[in-house]
Amino acid sequence: MGLEQLFTSAFLITWLAASVRLAGPVLLAALGEIFDELGGILNIGIEGTILFGALTSFLISFLIGNAWLGILGAIIVGIISNLFLAWMYITVRANQVVVGIIFNLLALGLTSYTFRAVLGTQARPQKATMIETLDIPILSDLPFFGPVFFSHSIFLYITIALVFVSGFVLYRTKFGLKLRAVGEHPRAADTAGINVMKMRYIGVMISGAAASLAGAYLVLGQLGIFRDNIVSGRGFIALAIVIFGRWNPYKAALAALVFGAADALQLSLQIFAFKIPPQVLLSLPYFLTILAMSGLMGKAVQPAALLKPYNKN
Amino acid sequence: MSKASFLERRQAPKESISVTIFITALAIILALLFGSLLFLPFGVDPFNAYSTMVELGFGTLRGIGYTLIKATPLIFVGLGTIFAWRSGFFYLGFEGTILIGAAAAVWIALLTDPEGAIGPLPRLLFLLLVFLVSFVAGGIWAGIVGVMRGKFGGNEVILSLMMNFVALFLVNYLVSGPLRAPGDLPQTPRIPQATILDFIIPGTRAHSGILLALFAAIVVWFVLRKTTIGYKQIVAGLSPRAAWYGGINVGNRVILAAFIGGGLGAMAGMVEVLGVHFRLLDGLGEGTGFVGIVAALLGKLHSIGVVIASILYAGMEVGADVMQRRSGVPSSVIFVIQSLIVLFILASDILRYYRINLSKLFGNDRGKKTLEVDSST
Repeated sequence: MGLEQLFTSAFLITWLAASVRLAGPVLLAALGEIFDELGGILNIGIEGTILFGALTSFLISFLIGNAWLGILGAIIVGIISNLFLAWMYITVRANQVVVGIIFNLLALGLTSYTFRAVLGTQARPQKATMIETLDIPILSDLPFFGPVFFSHSIFLYITIALVFVSGFVLYRTKFGLKLRAVGEHPRAADTAGINVMKMRYIGVMISGAAASLAGAYLVLGQLGIFRDNIVSGRGFIALAIVIFGRWNPYKAALAALVFGAADALQLSLQIFAFKIPPQVLLSLPYFLTILAMSGLMGKAVQPAALLKPYNKN
Repeated sequence: MSKASFLERRQAPKESISVTIFITALAIILALLFGSLLFLPFGVDPFNAYSTMVELGFGTLRGIGYTLIKATPLIFVGLGTIFAWRSGFFYLGFEGTILIGAAAAVWIALLTDPEGAIGPLPRLLFLLLVFLVSFVAGGIWAGIVGVMRGKFGGNEVILSLMMNFVALFLVNYLVSGPLRAPGDLPQTPRIPQATILDFIIPGTRAHSGILLALFAAIVVWFVLRKTTIGYKQIVAGLSPRAAWYGGINVGNRVILAAFIGGGLGAMAGMVEVLGVHFRLLDGLGEGTGFVGIVAALLGKLHSIGVVIASILYAGMEVGADVMQRRSGVPSSVIFVIQSLIVLFILASDILRYYRINLSKLFGNDRGKKTLEVDSST
């Protein structure tokens, strides 16, 4: 096959639909991360939280057979585990980077252990009950837009809705204003009567719920199985999306689409006898993030108090 | 403070050595206690399990051999962490530098194949060459992030995480394209027999990489503690502003920290391919880049501490691997315990802010004795 087929609409539709599908879970995790980063906390632990969410949702759905209970369980586990993270970040004021990477190792060990403890060491991969794909009536019949946007997992529609909800909450509510104030200038926010600790706790818990839900999305909406390396850096990709999207939910959605598109394109291009190594395409979004973060194109406008613990006294 | 509380808050955290020892011991015991819960579902006695693990990792020659093999890359990553983090450069890209160092080492080793571009080299010359190329490759790889941070104000935490992915794709490209050996698996050909590191303990596969790691630990300790360069690095890390007023170019210090840290990280990859795998392959050293950082933290960012922590971690991993085969307890328990130890140490820092008032605890005011957290002062 040659170039002319590359741009036929069948190829485009498959490619874009796959891009949207791959962008979903990382976008969901990134949306949560925006909340804690705007509050001044860099939560590298979302990689581990996604893993916790993935395992919890898998086990509940596999053992009980109800995927919705799996989602509920994942959210609860996400909030509880991030309550611990928040305590470490905010109350203990430990180094956020250090806590985050150790938490990720802990999650890796604990999920791998629990999976084997429940299903046995020699467990073969088995499929959990999944959340079915939902073709939105009428819209999914539209040419082009139907298959690309309206024939996906329910998780995706929830994620897209959450983009707008996040945008509204962050930029149109008092809560959003307080959260951003706490991330920009905690001292001033404190003087103005805002409870800095409380706002940051809420930010981290939101990110925990979102990341854990992203894990459930991955398992119950896409793969159906659990394995130790199922998350394989998606949490870090979510961090990249937050930065690439400049801490804005709408831009983050576009950023996630760019990552998804590069990922999907290399899958599709393998069908064609193309001369570009797939790894070049795969690494392209990372290069873009590196460029955005490098300081070469002006300083990234990160929240001023990011990574800085706040001491009231 | 309310009257009913037996915990009294201190004005400033207590920083004495006895408190540090007490807190560290408490954290380790708590982590081991928590870890012991994980053995129960498998009907294994936790205390028995811990002693078996120690015995398997350190008690036999075979076990010691495997422990040293596993400890070597951890020490290198730990040393890289010390040099970078002490200079105020919070590098997280060791997963990447391991891959880059491994790729560079395999490339040089393959070139010295009798049919390669360079051809066979005298042993010492080869070792020097492979060491240099691998170190510089890892140094430049991390140095890119160093320049972005030191000269342009980029954020090294995110940048180094992103660079890990790029390294992953680069190695993936190399083993599936230009350096791929004929066959089904994406991997390079085996490196020539003459380029393999010597085995140093008869009857085990322990290789001379551990000697290089110990040597590197001494060098890092010496440079940071006894030289002007080390002094400047540490001052730049402790207080960039003060360093700048004192005439130290903080940007350049960051770039040097990145170069040396990355080079040390690359050594971890080099010893893995020259001593263990004998070829470049996907998924090499996965996780080592982060576990090494954790070992460095457990070793309090001191060279000797890192060596001890790495050997301990490695020994526990070896013991846990054998135990998984024998009694079915997943070896991942050890990762849980490893990370809990450091998490608890970090969390227990908060204890430094409190003292326990015994008289209030027991509800009498007979003795006004106050028990300090460490009970010694």
